[in-house]
Amino acid sequence: MLAILRDLLRYNLEFRIGIVLVGFVLVLSMLSGFSPYPPQDVYVVPPDVPPSLSYWLGTTSRGQDVFWQLTFAIRNTLLFGCTVALISRALALVIGLLSGYKGGWIDRVLMSINDTFIVIPLLPVLVLFYFVMRDSMSWLMLALIMACLGWAYDARLIRSVAMSLKTREFTQSSVFSGMSTREILVQEHLPYVMPIVFSTTMNNMIWSIGLEVTLAVLGFTDINTPTIGGMIYWANQHTAMVAGVWWWIAFPTIAVVITFIGLFLLAVSMNEYIDPRSRLSRIGPVTS
Amino acid sequence: MSALLDAQHVCKTFTRGGVFSSRRIHAVCDVSFRIEAEKPEIFTIIGESGSGKTTLARIILNIEQPTSGALLFDGIDLAMVRSSADRMVFMHKVQPIFQNPFEAFNPLKQLDRYLFMTRRRFLAAGDHADIDIAVDDALRRVGLSLKEVRYRYPHELSGGQLQRVAIARALLSNPRLIVADEPVSMVDASLRMSIVNLFKALRDDLGISIVYVTHDLATAYYISDRIIVMQKGIVVESGEARAVLNAPQHPYSRQLRAAVLLPEVAAAAPSATLSP
Amino acid sequence: MTSAANSMGATQSDSAGPILSVGNLRAYFRTNHFGIHRTVRAVDGISFDVGRGEIYGLAGESSSGKTTLVRTIAGAIKPPLEVVGGTAEFSFLPGYDGLYRAPAAEVARIRWRHLSYIMQGSMNVLNPVRRLRKSFVDFARPHMAGTERKFERAVIDHLARVNLDASVLAAYPHELSGGMRQRVTIALATICRPDFIIADEPTTALDVIVQKDVLGMIRGIQREIGSSVLFVTHDMGVHAHLTDRLGIMYAGRLIEEATTAEIFRAPLHPYTRHLIASLPRIGNDAPRKGLEGTPPNLADPPPGCRFHPRCPLAMEVCSRSVPTMIGTAPGHRVACFAVNGSEEP
Repeated sequence: MLAILRDLLRYNLEFRIGIVLVGFVLVLSMLSGFSPYPPQDVYVVPPDVPPSLSYWLGTTSRGQDVFWQLTFAIRNTLLFGCTVALISRALALVIGLLSGYKGGWIDRVLMSINDTFIVIPLLPVLVLFYFVMRDSMSWLMLALIMACLGWAYDARLIRSVAMSLKTREFTQSSVFSGMSTREILVQEHLPYVMPIVFSTTMNNMIWSIGLEVTLAVLGFTDINTPTIGGMIYWANQHTAMVAGVWWWIAFPTIAVVITFIGLFLLAVSMNEYIDPRSRLSRIGPVTS
Repeated sequence: MSALLDAQHVCKTFTRGGVFSSRRIHAVCDVSFRIEAEKPEIFTIIGESGSGKTTLARIILNIEQPTSGALLFDGIDLAMVRSSADRMVFMHKVQPIFQNPFEAFNPLKQLDRYLFMTRRRFLAAGDHADIDIAVDDALRRVGLSLKEVRYRYPHELSGGQLQRVAIARALLSNPRLIVADEPVSMVDASLRMSIVNLFKALRDDLGISIVYVTHDLATAYYISDRIIVMQKGIVVESGEARAVLNAPQHPYSRQLRAAVLLPEVAAAAPSATLSP
Repeated sequence: MTSAANSMGATQSDSAGPILSVGNLRAYFRTNHFGIHRTVRAVDGISFDVGRGEIYGLAGESSSGKTTLVRTIAGAIKPPLEVVGGTAEFSFLPGYDGLYRAPAAEVARIRWRHLSYIMQGSMNVLNPVRRLRKSFVDFARPHMAGTERKFERAVIDHLARVNLDASVLAAYPHELSGGMRQRVTIALATICRPDFIIADEPTTALDVIVQKDVLGMIRGIQREIGSSVLFVTHDMGVHAHLTDRLGIMYAGRLIEEATTAEIFRAPLHPYTRHLIASLPRIGNDAPRKGLEGTPPNLADPPPGCRFHPRCPLAMEVCSRSVPTMIGTAPGHRVACFAVNGSEEP
């Protein structure tokens, strides 16, 4: 693993930039542990102060330090994105691999469910959930719901890879070597599926964070826990752009854009590394 | 005499197409033959593409089910072999060798994994040393050794070596029958004979019967005991190998035999071979 | 149908100079993935000539480099493949070391009119979404003067030579069988009566019965038009049946070259001898042996003669120096110290 990271760092510019950007965002989120102000408190500092030496990124109209708010916001947003991505990847993998390998009625049933989920319009459903659940809609709840809505598309992708792998002769060799279905899926097929999982993880994170920001801006989430979307929501509530408090909106936006670009670059560079074709050209005797 | 493999009027039909229009492809029609248990032999199925020989091989391996007719292995109807436990028992005794040696193993994984796995799953558990010795034995039988193969990836070996590793893997479960589907067609001509000779040795030394599926009449002539010729799913001729190939009776077998290009040039003037 | 000049095409015809002259051609694959450099010496110093009107066979097994050689001669070079040295000169394109050095306009001019290809997968040539008539128009029309009607007439006549009916022109490639498609490919490649045809494993994917037909057609057309053919295949039976002269490749180098009859009658190089001896024949079940060892990895080939690790006649000099192709008899060249004597070049 470390050798992989070292190789990537040395030879791949995209990876280097991606690591720097994502690292920066991670450091920012970890700084939240050092915040002198609890995140929910308001009016702890003078409001509407532009960026200066005492308040690096300025303060909001609610009397919160933008910098420290941002650390919490980015941390929560990242956590949210990771949770959704992990759960939905797990779902997509299991369903996609099983469906592709087994075929038959299992495939038909799972894919019918899959297609139903693809067609569901996300935003209205999420808004509906919010209205039904109101105060009991915590972040974890929202993450679970989004994970359940976000696996369908990628499950089909994984399924098509699994189907093509099933026809390859080494799958039969594995069967005749006595491997069980689970072993074959995990040990033989998973490496081929990993590039898809990886790039779709980053995609998924970007998608979920984007959706969360949208919902929060519209006010359909728990807006008391600070997130990027939440900050923008409050900024809109206080008509920050009109009032000239541009730093309240600008800095969360910049932070989330940095996150997206960093994640994307990481995904692209790791993908190239993990792709079986490039792996094959790296294994074996070396002449130089 | 009990039969090791008994095919009784095996048929396989594929249906292509949707609800409103469908085509039926008769891949295998009414094929019957017997391989006796007491006398190991190399039983060859000759055919071109579309003859149904690969489908027949897959049916013997229990990868496909016949549409009608029955295939009995060691007295057990393969249609009864459904559960994983039954399948394991079946695979213990019947192993495949596939056409493409480069695809026989996962390119991303090391080769020895399959060898150890086969040994462990099908035979009584032993400790590491026992298993190593068993794997090494199987590899030596095919002309390789554990030292050469350990930690290697498929692309590090040639087609001929890979096919030998595939044979070693098949041997590790102590099978009674090996089904080889075009095992040497993708192997270099200069390495082919060592693999073909290996099949002979498996029959003579280990008493393993081999179902050898191929389109290459020359190698079939070299090692087969009995032979059946398939055309479009039907067996057009069968019998003792040398007899059939030296003097084929059926028009299609005759055509096949005439189309074989001999690897020799008439010693006369070169223009003698120029007539199409 | 055979013209006198062509039946003598079995030996080198220097009357008008060779139509293809390959001189010390070297082409390597150079890859660099994540810091791992790899140089695969696929074609490493190959020299041979193809005369006019002759069928020159190129035999070799996997990792012999013959596919790369053919691609280089045809000018189909793309990174990571690069030509490191040598020439592959065609007589109809003088002044350029090889197709790979010529400008695109020149290449387009000679393609199909002077040089054409018959490839292994007919679907590599035929556009699956266009009817065959369109393929003929695309490939051949630019090179043939005259009206549309005359062109169509010429195409139909030509198709008759490969026993195909005019109705195939209206079909899509997938509607025809493999054998028919390959015959269409042959017709396409020969309709402009090119001087040189490169045939790369054209019958390998075909059934045995169809293969014999197709080979006959290739020979028939070749005799009629008088083209030279570079026929590449690993199948020695096909070489015996079709080619006039034969060059044997091993690990990126040419190791023996002679008339086909001579190669099968009295091969000299240890590899060739073993290869010929190991081929099974119907009617003869004497025991045969395969060759020991494996073909070398072209990224890390053995020093000196590349066959020496597997050679029963290997001497000390074989692991140090590379044997050169030396003529042992008229028209017969071998690169082997054991055959030629071990004076180092």
